[in-house]
Amino acid sequence: MSYSQEVNEPALKINKAVQKKRFTKKKLIPYLFILPSFLFIMGFLFYPIAMVFYYSVQHYDISAPYYNRFAGLENFVQIFTQDKLFFPSLLNSLKWVVSEVGLQLVFGMILALLLNQTFKFRGMIRAVAFVPWAISGVLASVMWSLMFNEHMGVLNDLLMKIGLINEPMAFLANTSTAFGAVVIAELWRGIPFFAITLLAGLQSIPNELYEAARVDGANRWKTFIYVTLPQLKNTIILTTLLRVVWEFNNVDLLFNLTGGGPAHSTTTLTMYIAELAVHGSNFGYGSALTVISFGILLVFAILYLRLSRYEKE
Amino acid sequence: MFSKNKKVDRLLTFYLPLTMMLSFTIFPVYWTLNTAFKPEGDIVQRPLQYLPINPTVENFAMAWNNVGFAVFMKNSLIVGISTVVVVLICSTLSGYALARFEFKGKRAFLLMLLCTQFIPRSMMIIPLFVIFKNLGLISNPLALIITYTAIEIPFTTILMSGFIKNVPKELEEAALIDGCTKLQSLRFVVFPLLLPGIVATAVFTFIYTWNEFLIALMLTNQQSKFTLPVGLSTMMGEFNVNYGALAAGSIIALVPAVILFAYAQKHLVNGMGGAVKG
Amino acid sequence: MFGKKWGIKWRQSVVLGTLAAGMVLAGCNGEEETSSKSSAGTSSSGSDEAATITFWDENAGPQRTPIWEELIKRFEEENPKIDVEYVGLPKDSAKSKLDAAIAADDMPDVGSVQTSWLPEFSIREALLPLDDYYENSELNGLINQGALDFNKEIVQGNALYGIPYTQNLDVLWVRPDWFEEAGVKIPETWDEFFTAVEKMTDKANNRYGYTIRGGAGGSFQLQRLMFAYNGFEEYVTEDGKSTLNDPKNVEFVEKYLSLYETYTPKSDITNGYKEMIAGFDTGVVAMVQHNIGSYGEHKKALEENQFQAIPLPKTEDGKYVAEGGNTIGLSIFKSTENPDAAWKFVEFINSAESQSYWNEQVGQIPTNADVIKEDWIQNSPHIQTAFAVYDDPNTILYKPPFYLPDYRSILDNLVDSGTQAVMSGESTAQEFLDEWAKAIEDSQKQYSEHFGK
Repeated sequence: MSYSQEVNEPALKINKAVQKKRFTKKKLIPYLFILPSFLFIMGFLFYPIAMVFYYSVQHYDISAPYYNRFAGLENFVQIFTQDKLFFPSLLNSLKWVVSEVGLQLVFGMILALLLNQTFKFRGMIRAVAFVPWAISGVLASVMWSLMFNEHMGVLNDLLMKIGLINEPMAFLANTSTAFGAVVIAELWRGIPFFAITLLAGLQSIPNELYEAARVDGANRWKTFIYVTLPQLKNTIILTTLLRVVWEFNNVDLLFNLTGGGPAHSTTTLTMYIAELAVHGSNFGYGSALTVISFGILLVFAILYLRLSRYEKE
Repeated sequence: MFSKNKKVDRLLTFYLPLTMMLSFTIFPVYWTLNTAFKPEGDIVQRPLQYLPINPTVENFAMAWNNVGFAVFMKNSLIVGISTVVVVLICSTLSGYALARFEFKGKRAFLLMLLCTQFIPRSMMIIPLFVIFKNLGLISNPLALIITYTAIEIPFTTILMSGFIKNVPKELEEAALIDGCTKLQSLRFVVFPLLLPGIVATAVFTFIYTWNEFLIALMLTNQQSKFTLPVGLSTMMGEFNVNYGALAAGSIIALVPAVILFAYAQKHLVNGMGGAVKG
Repeated sequence: MFGKKWGIKWRQSVVLGTLAAGMVLAGCNGEEETSSKSSAGTSSSGSDEAATITFWDENAGPQRTPIWEELIKRFEEENPKIDVEYVGLPKDSAKSKLDAAIAADDMPDVGSVQTSWLPEFSIREALLPLDDYYENSELNGLINQGALDFNKEIVQGNALYGIPYTQNLDVLWVRPDWFEEAGVKIPETWDEFFTAVEKMTDKANNRYGYTIRGGAGGSFQLQRLMFAYNGFEEYVTEDGKSTLNDPKNVEFVEKYLSLYETYTPKSDITNGYKEMIAGFDTGVVAMVQHNIGSYGEHKKALEENQFQAIPLPKTEDGKYVAEGGNTIGLSIFKSTENPDAAWKFVEFINSAESQSYWNEQVGQIPTNADVIKEDWIQNSPHIQTAFAVYDDPNTILYKPPFYLPDYRSILDNLVDSGTQAVMSGESTAQEFLDEWAKAIEDSQKQYSEHFGK
């Protein structure tokens, strides 16, 4: 016993040295792996993002370079004290994100549950159900503006045929319907995203769990609440987070269908920024707004991941 | 009696909701097709025609010829496919690092990935333009490929790390013990399991590049290098109200994406689950 | 346990991956190089004059792009050593694209530039003064002097930065057949206009007297109507006050926007160009305000006797009013390496033949005196209408403050939404016009402080 211990001691030392060497090598591997991605992001996105922060403390208008100068916090002060659009558009953003992500999640879940059953032509029907995901915002707005049209829109025609309305509605023109109309159009495009991810999640739930539930006499609703939902938790957390960020910044349909109107009732914060920067060329002020929305999203993402206990049981 | 109840139940809880959901999905597409096949005067004719009475392919011919779709489509394909290849390589590597290793700075890296998504693209235009002008790459497809890759990497990395986590580590190790080299084990054991994830990532990336407009417009100063969305946008300008050609153009632009989708949907469904399950 | 194999093999695959990525990149790069080489090769295979110039069209589309391509083809036949590369920009994004190009100092050689952009571009020192070129050119004396003078007046230093090749005018497009049928007089004065809107409305038959552009671009049209009503020559007075919230404008805006919903379609409030014109061309509305440029659209959709252009109604004392600077010109950008070739192209487009071709196809007014006598002009009623306005010695031409850097964004962001707020009853015409006037006055004050004017 003691003999072998003595003999083994130097061997152990050598082993440790080798291990240490391997260890440092192994330590390097993940960094090598993330290197290409890191380089792409640092090389091509760092500068544009840094410039947003830099411009936020400048008066910077590319169409009036002679006014450009250091602004300090003036842009921010103006946003919080004088800007009549900031809070309403932030509120619209909130409404937009909550209604879009909420509805997409609910309907995506329903669609996923339906498509998860066995039936004829399942592959084909799945493919069809996912098509809206492949359609760009610009094309989607062309399609929906054709249908929403007051004079030649098919929605009015159908609703009048059923007898729900007596005269054509101007869906995109009314402060009380415009927002809802755009929400529906975007919902159409967004449901498949959730349907796909949730459907995939559903497929990896072990069958035994359902059988156990059935033995316990759980009905469909209870099975869904106690078996399906918990199993999909991480999927739901991650997709909703990504979707919130994505919808927050998504202005395609708003821009093309209502242009933020009538009377700014559909102007979200990102839409306001896009108008200032792209059409008004006022990048300084737009950057300050962007910094604020960056902060909001960052706080949201961290809180969301913490509170939802992502990847924790 | 029992079977009848079951049938009613199936009708109410399955066929009815499925039909409703599908109608909602298909209707806009059907209406666009319907519009695209109508001669210009009939589109606005009342009563509305739910099927074209005088079907025509004139709109398709017009959209195809006038706008120069063929060139734009080729450009979009070049940019799309190259971006997919580069994104796959980068995000598989970084996804693997996130899934299989614990390392210092992992959280910081994740946070960095998320932060890139918080800035509206419209705010990045001018700095991007300056970068690529200095590199001499304005109007070069490389500028778009690089930008799209950088923009897509964060999301696809998170996707890929999920897929890779789903491949049991033991499988890789078992393959090694069986005498496979590391590369072989990757090629024959890990890769087939990862394939759905790779397809999902590829489709996701491709659809993004296929539809992206603003960056493509801003970084391209040559007509012959425009991508499809940029080319299509000139159909929607002032002084042109041609709903039929617009609809036809939309359909043409949609076709490649839909074909890809139909082809990939099987893999996509199997793949995506792993990813987001984490 | 597997650390070693791990490391080495994986490093190999990293190298492989990087190589593969590099190959993809290099592949594209290589292709790019050869193609640019070959194009450079063809253009430099001549004497010193050989040049490639890029031309940016600010309103590309199925209608205008083929016209430019044809003209460029003709130009290249005449000047085989000059290559013109056409870039068609969608109208909505053209200005931001040019903005970015100027900011990054990567401009085209020649651009189709709206006159209202000239002051800003000249202050940003993006354009080449064309005075000398024009003076020594055969065009000298042929291009509408009023338009040229206008272009000089609005820029700092009064240089000539753009040669206008087309002129436009806001008009009312009306349905003469409906007016006749209803026995209503086609309006010439504002009173007649408001009466006609009312009388031509027949909601039971889904017909409206008029349609308002409440969405994108509506502000520019509203402004032209306001000035046609009030007959003011000044937009901003000497002492920096704006005439926008003058009681006369308040009166007009109140009256005009109250037409909404009673005599116009409900969707008007978010109407863009497309929806507005579609309303007219599909037989829903009897009158629409746009410019003569939409002639082609109406011609496609309606019969010859179903549409007609009439001037905007006259002021109380019987004068026509038109907005100055409703032209589009060709400008040469300062960064060009081939100014002479660029000028040749500008000259060619403004020649009688090219201007005639362009304007006849589009349906707008040429600026070259030699074209005015041509038959197609004499036979185009809508162009004759425009001439009636421009040639009338009493016509008032007012000058919007194009030189204010935020003139356009005030109209786009503040006025469009302000109009909608009045239409939906959320604010009053007075509040709206006060806000608009204040924005212009603030901008004017900042500008005066900076340029000491």
